[in-house]
Order: sequence, then structure tokens, then C-alpha cells
Amino acid sequence: MATAIEKVQAAATAAGLVPQSDKLSIIMFSGTADKFIPLGVLAQAAAAMGVEVNIFVTGFALRGFTKQKQELPFPAEFAAMAPALAKGMQQVHVASWDAMLRQAKDLGAKVYTCSMMSSVMGLKKEDFNDLVDDVVGAAAFLQIAEHGQSLFI
Amino acid sequence: MPAMSATTPHTIVDSRGSACPGPITDLALAYRRAKAGDVIELWATDPGVKADVRAWAAKTRNEVVSVQDQDGKIVSVLRIVHR
Repeated sequence: MATAIEKVQAAATAAGLVPQSDKLSIIMFSGTADKFIPLGVLAQAAAAMGVEVNIFVTGFALRGFTKQKQELPFPAEFAAMAPALAKGMQQVHVASWDAMLRQAKDLGAKVYTCSMMSSVMGLKKEDFNDLVDDVVGAAAFLQIAEHGQSLFI
Repeated sequence: MPAMSATTPHTIVDSRGSACPGPITDLALAYRRAKAGDVIELWATDPGVKADVRAWAAKTRNEVVSVQDQDGKIVSVLRIVHR
């Protein structure tokens, strides 16, 4: 039997108030190490739930996707907490952000880098590592993201 | 709901020690190989798994048979009804 919440959800879906498409888009902008953890966790969790996941990498986040590995800095205000965080994550066996993203990709997630910011940083398609599926423009990504849920990190 | 019998295909997925979102990912990988009617038993220690398996089942339209604390682990039993 449907609960009150399920009835409301069904009515909202019928009324077109809920996006029909089961899609999550993550716009990854930040270039600090802490922000890459939710990227990995949410991308992997959504992909595991059968949700279509598309990630648009732009701005300083591009640094995490180059073949030439770059150390991602910690934001200055949390730098003092970084060692404790790393230790805690190791204790509970949290996977690295790129391992989580790789798992998400195995489940179908796609990663796109922003063509404009790539050019600004002097990065070409061949400079990106194998996590990146393609280099696209903003309009192309907005079309991919249309009618889905979007997060900006 | 048919009773679970010894002949019900029963896959055990051991995600003990794996942090979120490891357990539901292991479940999703087992689900990929499963057929309708299969039963998957997920073992985990991450406390988030209790809510996560219910969310996963609702999203993928499968059934949660039980979620129980058992000998220091959380055992979730799911029946695959939707492929």
C-alpha cells in the first residue's frame, strides 16, 4: 500500500513537477583536495543506484584530471585538519576520490572537461588522463544535464 | 511473496570494512549479474548501509526482505524482482 509520501510523489510526478529523467550532473569547479571527496562519493553512490551520472570539470578542478599528476592543495582554513582527516579516512578505508570516480565510470558515469577553461590553462585533450571521456563546451554540457538534477562543487 | 527456500539462488556479498558508498556499490555490481528472483545478502559494517539499501531498493525497484544487526555486522537481504 502506498504511503502518504509515495502518494504525494506520484501526484507530483504526474503533474510534471518532478524531473522525469533519472540523471545527476555534477559541475566540478573547485581545485582543492577536500572538494574531490564528495565528487567521488556522490558520483559512485548515484551510479550504484542506477542514476545516469555526468560530470563537467572546469576551473581549478581541471588540475585533478591531467596526465601529469598535480598535488591538490587543501584550503588554507582547513589545512590544520588535513592530517587528522587523512588518518580517519584511512582507518575506515575510504577509497581515494579517483578510485571512487573510476568505480562510478565502470557503472556508466561520464566525465567531460570544459573546452574554454582547458584552453585558458593551455590543456589539450591529450593532456587529460583516462578519467576524461571528452572535452566539451558549456552548451553541450547543459544539454546533457537538461531535465536532471545538478550539483555545483 | 514466495517463501525463501534452500533452492533460492542466494548470493552473499561481503562488504565488511568497506566505507560508504562501497557497500551499495558492491550490491550494484552483484545486481548486474543477478536475475529476477535472485536473493542477495549484503554484509556490511558501515552504519549508513541500513538507510542506503532501502534507498537503493526503492530506486531500482527491488525488495528489501530484511535488514538486521547480526554478530557485529549488518545483514541486508534483498530480493531482485526488477531487471
